[in-house]
Amino acid sequence: MAEQLLNTKPDLEKLTAIIADYAGQRWPLIPLVQKIQSEFGYIPQESVPLIAQYLKLFPSQVQGVISFYAQLYTKPRGKKVVRVCRGTACHVRGGKTILKLVKQNLGIEEGETTPDMEYTLETVACIGVCALAPNIVIGDRVFGHMNPKKVEYLLKRGGD
Amino acid sequence: MQPITITLDGNEVSGYAGMSILALAREAGVHIPTLCHDDHLPDIGACRLCIVEEEKSGALMAACVTPIASGMVINTRSPRVVTHRRTIVELMLASHPDACPVCDKGNRCKLRGIAAEMGLSLTQLQRVPQVATIQDVNPFIQRDLSKCVLCARCIRACQELVVEGVLDYFQRGFKSKPATFGDVPLESSDCTFCGTCVALCPTGALMERDAPYRGTTRNKVKTTCPHCGCGCSIELEIKDNRIIRSIPAETDGTGYRPLCVRGSYGYDFTHSPDRLTTPLIRRNGSLQQSDWEEALTLVADGLEKVISKHGAESVAVLGSAHCTNEEAYLLQRLARCTIGTSNVDSGSRLYSAATILGLATTIGLPQPANHVEAIEKSDVIMVVGADPTTSAPAVGYAIKRAVKGKGACLILIDPRRTRLAFFATLHLQPKPGTDIALLSALAHVIVKENLLDKEFVVRRTDNFEPLVRSVEHYTPEYAAGVTGVPAGQIVAAARFYARARQASLVHGSGITQYPTGTDCVRAIANLALLTGNALRKGGGITTLYRESNSYGVMAMGLSPHLLPGFRSATDTRARGDLETLWRVNLPDPPGLTAIEMLQGAISGKIRALYICGEDPISTFPDRQMVTEALASLEFLVVQDIFLTETAKLATVVLPGASPLEKDGTTINFEGKIRRFRRAVTPPGEGRPDWQILAEIAARMKRPLPFSHFDDIVAEMEDCVPGYQYYGGEGRDFDIQSTGTRQQPVEEAPRGFPRFSPVEYQVPAKLDDHEYPFLLLTGGVFPHHSNSIWSLKAPRLKKFLSQGYAELNPEDTHSLGLDNGDTVKITSAAGEVIAPVRSSADIPQGTVFIPCSFPDIAVNVLFRIRLDTQSKAPAFKSCRVKVQRVDSDG
Repeated sequence: MAEQLLNTKPDLEKLTAIIADYAGQRWPLIPLVQKIQSEFGYIPQESVPLIAQYLKLFPSQVQGVISFYAQLYTKPRGKKVVRVCRGTACHVRGGKTILKLVKQNLGIEEGETTPDMEYTLETVACIGVCALAPNIVIGDRVFGHMNPKKVEYLLKRGGD
Repeated sequence: MQPITITLDGNEVSGYAGMSILALAREAGVHIPTLCHDDHLPDIGACRLCIVEEEKSGALMAACVTPIASGMVINTRSPRVVTHRRTIVELMLASHPDACPVCDKGNRCKLRGIAAEMGLSLTQLQRVPQVATIQDVNPFIQRDLSKCVLCARCIRACQELVVEGVLDYFQRGFKSKPATFGDVPLESSDCTFCGTCVALCPTGALMERDAPYRGTTRNKVKTTCPHCGCGCSIELEIKDNRIIRSIPAETDGTGYRPLCVRGSYGYDFTHSPDRLTTPLIRRNGSLQQSDWEEALTLVADGLEKVISKHGAESVAVLGSAHCTNEEAYLLQRLARCTIGTSNVDSGSRLYSAATILGLATTIGLPQPANHVEAIEKSDVIMVVGADPTTSAPAVGYAIKRAVKGKGACLILIDPRRTRLAFFATLHLQPKPGTDIALLSALAHVIVKENLLDKEFVVRRTDNFEPLVRSVEHYTPEYAAGVTGVPAGQIVAAARFYARARQASLVHGSGITQYPTGTDCVRAIANLALLTGNALRKGGGITTLYRESNSYGVMAMGLSPHLLPGFRSATDTRARGDLETLWRVNLPDPPGLTAIEMLQGAISGKIRALYICGEDPISTFPDRQMVTEALASLEFLVVQDIFLTETAKLATVVLPGASPLEKDGTTINFEGKIRRFRRAVTPPGEGRPDWQILAEIAARMKRPLPFSHFDDIVAEMEDCVPGYQYYGGEGRDFDIQSTGTRQQPVEEAPRGFPRFSPVEYQVPAKLDDHEYPFLLLTGGVFPHHSNSIWSLKAPRLKKFLSQGYAELNPEDTHSLGLDNGDTVKITSAAGEVIAPVRSSADIPQGTVFIPCSFPDIAVNVLFRIRLDTQSKAPAFKSCRVKVQRVDSDG
């Protein structure tokens, strides 16, 4: 496993360095995977056996925790995450169509990432600004009162 | 502690603090349905079926995880509880396939049972089927996760009972399921197919594959697993004289133990089509079928003829560690009384003699009792030269539980990176054969840093000063040079071990199968004595005897040096006692040991050999010599359940019974007496082995007084101190009552445990150049040591049936070898051809060849080199060279 990592993952050293800081304890599993995610953008599958070894957990346990939390990602994500709201208010005001348009525009399905690694598409249950429905969030910016034209304009501009 | 009283369904009941409502209800005889609860697993309240109502607060809570509190008023069957419970089951059924009529789980399904109890059939709810996509192809376990109810019994079994950690929850919500790392099939994961999850699964989600019978049977027999020295209790389910299932059973003494792959799926060797079914007699050079009368008369006459022509001392009897205690006793009785020879031994000599001798001359007890439960309670566990995960899984589980669950520290001393290495705090990888230097260095550090248990050493041991002098020059630096283990690690290991409140030492045949095996056992005993662990309850030494009844056959006197009950064969008082009881004059000791018998056959000293259950050609070192020895005998009788390589040379072959087909006892490595109970009858005309031996004796000039099994048992209870048959199950073989405590008196004037200085002998470095590699042999998962039985079990064989040679990737690289290439491995004695595997678990310069496979007969590589003390041959490692063999030649 280790050799394989060396060949395919040049960042193994960085990964090991992060994990080694937490060696021998069980409790820091979540802060550790969060840290890995903030460094790499996701949690590489290869990191799981390493985390298990250092934290004295089983790989299946580490995987269980990672797969439980929606905030933890096991696949690389695009530079910008597009979140389309599916909350009640957005639904009533056409959120479903907005989602369909975003999919068409980006050419990807929910949970997928564009091949150029620019966008990842997700949905959220509610972002709390129902007055502006329908909403989408790109990166950490919220865009309200969405309509087909605005969707196209926004994604063309790169989400700024 | 104050008892806590609660009201349960209107009655007042009392329990203790910390007890769950469920436990109290069970005690009070109130039935609460459960699905995820199992007595052997920690409760997690996953299935919610055990909900009960607290009347005062109106709360519904899971009875299995709610502790009782004073004044609680609990309803277990109020209409509200029943409605909720029904809804829960209905929801489960909504995501469960309607496959009951074709599901092999049948009446053993707990979900079906509970649904039936509540009168629920097809649910009115919308069906939300679970998708099962995993396809396992292993021969043991079949997963159908569409039937999973997410009770997590499998997960808890895997993580907390056997501590393999293969399974855990994966994903959440509707997608959630128990999965391996990467959601791969079991055979691609670290799964050891112990079957614990299968035994605990309440539904048909986890089932045994290739089960011989699909239904449920009522015929069940509690017996003991015959494969290794753990002697775990198993419950066999029988249908039409066939064993159809094996599950862990709970018995006195050993309690509930999860099984291993052999215990769960290895029973079917007993139904192998290769079993011997009739006696065979050699006629005109080939073995031909015969009947019992003819065969038994021929054996008795043949033995008598050799006795009258060459004397009784030209006959030898070789038993095996597969014999039950009763058979071992009968076999030595046959040899000593009916035949009149002291040449009686067992194949167990190869693996166990060094231990028995090494411990008897130091600690004084051939069996320092350290139960598996005690290992689990230790805070430091040192494992030397053993891979319990393969050779004694129950010990492996206990060690892993201690490390994972109780934070114990594991020090592993093994050249190979075994499965335990993942759990080890320290893994010391000495060069093979240098254990004595390493162990002496540990003793050196303990003495130098004054970490010893002074009071124990001064008041309870003997011969301390010579030990101190002998370990003086084993500095960690010197040992580091010899063993290749960094000095810092040696010091750390010594400190860990010595500072433990309670430390266990576990050792296996990885150290005893060297020419210095006995000394190595003494070095281990020295460590346990220095730190006071030797006689400490819960500390001490655990020997993993290799075969199932290694300890028992020694205890029954199946050894040229020992009389029944571990009494020395030269002990005149014991001899006198036995001569009176047996009404014979015992032949002069000592007789020949196993290897000496074979050497005697070549020199003409031994003319006839009676072998019971042993296959020396396959399992003894120096195959060429053994074959020559057996071929040169005038008369060879082999009693076995298979036509082994040895049996093929015999004059007469007698078909015996497997341990699952007969009654008897065995003693596991903990020294506990375990019972075999007849589950099925032997195939064809096979007979229980005690019966065969008794009938042979009856046809000879000096018969034995046994016509019933109970006759043997009765005499043994008189003659073998510590032995008990009825009611003896699970008890310790009572070593104290055998009087062996006084045995080392000759050497230890005060009768105390005695330090025994040992020296590391630098091996001659002659053939390093010609033979650059060091060969290691050993058992390999899922087989047991030389796998005489496990390779006959179809599912175990299907999993792994081919041998191989394992090398470090660096070595395969430098030799230009790829995985699967064929190599020739040559030693001074012989050569074998094997496919190569590269594995980083093997240290550089080492080749590992499993001793389990007849297609790669690793024993041809060994020359006989006996341990001068125990007369056990070295059979662990030798120098070899490795050459590529081109596929065309």
